[in-house]
Amino acid sequence: MTEFRLRSVAGVVERHRVATVRTWKVALTWFLIEPAFVLVAMGSGVGQLVVEIPGHGPYSHFVTPGIIIGMVMFHALFDSAWGVFNRIQQGAFETQLTAPVTVTELAAGEALWGGIRGVISTLAIGGLAILLGWFPLSALPVTLLVSFVVGVQFGVVGLCSASASPSMSALTLVFTVMATPLFFFSGSFFPLEVLPDWVEPLAWIAPLTPGVHLARGLAEHSLDLSHALCALYLVAFTLLLFPVAARMLRARLVK
Amino acid sequence: MASEIVVDKLVKRFGHATAVDAISFSVDQRETVGLLGPNGAGKTTTMRILAGLSPADGGTVQLAGLDARTQGREVRRLLGVVTQQDGLDVEISVRENLTVYGYLCGLSRQASATRADAVLTFFGLEGRANDEVDALSGGMKRRLAIARAWMTRPRIIILDEPSTGLDPHSRARVWENLAELKAGGVTVLMSTHYMEEAAVLCDRVAIMDRGRILALGPPRALIAEHAGRGAIEIRCDEAQRDAVRAALTAIAVPWREMGAVFSLPDEGADLGPVATLAGVQVHHRPAHLEDVFLRLTGKELVDD
Repeated sequence: MTEFRLRSVAGVVERHRVATVRTWKVALTWFLIEPAFVLVAMGSGVGQLVVEIPGHGPYSHFVTPGIIIGMVMFHALFDSAWGVFNRIQQGAFETQLTAPVTVTELAAGEALWGGIRGVISTLAIGGLAILLGWFPLSALPVTLLVSFVVGVQFGVVGLCSASASPSMSALTLVFTVMATPLFFFSGSFFPLEVLPDWVEPLAWIAPLTPGVHLARGLAEHSLDLSHALCALYLVAFTLLLFPVAARMLRARLVK
Repeated sequence: MASEIVVDKLVKRFGHATAVDAISFSVDQRETVGLLGPNGAGKTTTMRILAGLSPADGGTVQLAGLDARTQGREVRRLLGVVTQQDGLDVEISVRENLTVYGYLCGLSRQASATRADAVLTFFGLEGRANDEVDALSGGMKRRLAIARAWMTRPRIIILDEPSTGLDPHSRARVWENLAELKAGGVTVLMSTHYMEEAAVLCDRVAIMDRGRILALGPPRALIAEHAGRGAIEIRCDEAQRDAVRAALTAIAVPWREMGAVFSLPDEGADLGPVATLAGVQVHHRPAHLEDVFLRLTGKELVDD
């Protein structure tokens, strides 16, 4: 059993830091401009019609934590699904493995980057929401932590998808069949209670739901046992899926 | 002299196909050895196993005294690897491809940056440092891939087809860089399907086919041993090709054809039936590695 070295993981993350700094102008549109459209359209647009969600206050306040966490998912998936797939195809991952780095460290670096991207995203869009008065500043620090875990969680999901996809078109399924439905049916835009009775339990086990529920509980300063269970689910999901992702990546790269 | 690379009875299978069939060879310190053979000969698979990118199904590999199977990380600390696909990261600049790799290998950011500038200059890429990787020519991308492998001053460099697909000028530049590295004392294992490349760069050449090593030795010695009498070249009109083929088949000698030129080892066979065909010229020329390959396998080297 080869030991696990954090320095190698840092080396994998460094690549993303450099790539993001290099393309910061484009990165700004991902982190701020695009999510700002979604946030303002929902909060201000739909918020005009749906004045209040019973038990949650104004719609803009209700929808903000959902959009924050949904964006974390898309950010993490973007790099770990598309990015990883592209770099596997270009041989860039193989190059990284010619360094004294193991596949597990490589996978950990990619997952960790998903978490970091999640934090950057929440700083940007959460900051905007705070300025708009839709999100309390006091909830930001712990929401950043939730964003980090959700980012790692979907970083791991993305790694599995990229490792399993034989082609780019197969990889698009991750977005069409998984990410988009999750974005809309994880309680981001409406409370899960409004779903038909038989769908609601399914929505609760959908992997984006716990992150959204936690962020909303933090924003509304009303945490209960359900939030503790969500935190547990989130961490367990991520920890259990990571070894699977590392194994799938190894199967893809080392033949 | 001590052996830097020792490969013993190495086996690799993909399903039912045996890609590497119990090969053994060694490479001395400061030596350059080339694996020469057509696609499918097992060259790339052999090198991927040495680089730790592929697990072997049998046999052992030692690099600098370390066991590649159990000490992969330590082995890769001493290795520079250039894979067949250049494996460059197209989302970061030319220079960043080097600095990021150096950092990944354990250099500090500062040390990696300093080293990257020195390496860029050595490979004649300093003017392109901040360019996009995709803006480079094929030859420059290749040199950048070799430069990346050279970031950590490895003891051993593994190069998979260093100049495949390059124009003659770019190829010459790659060869020049490799010759300089070699002069600096690094041990090199490379694969190629260019005879000229093997003859120019390699101290010894292993001729491979179907997962086996058929012959191993210095290029000149291989030529002397397996094609010492030289080679025969037969030129003819397009219209005569079928007739020449028929005559050669009747004599039962192996040959290869490039355009309307036939090439075959001089084995003292009586070529009278060919020479007497109208419009056919028969010449004798010194042999090269390609003739050795033809002689050993009965087929042409470049089969793709």
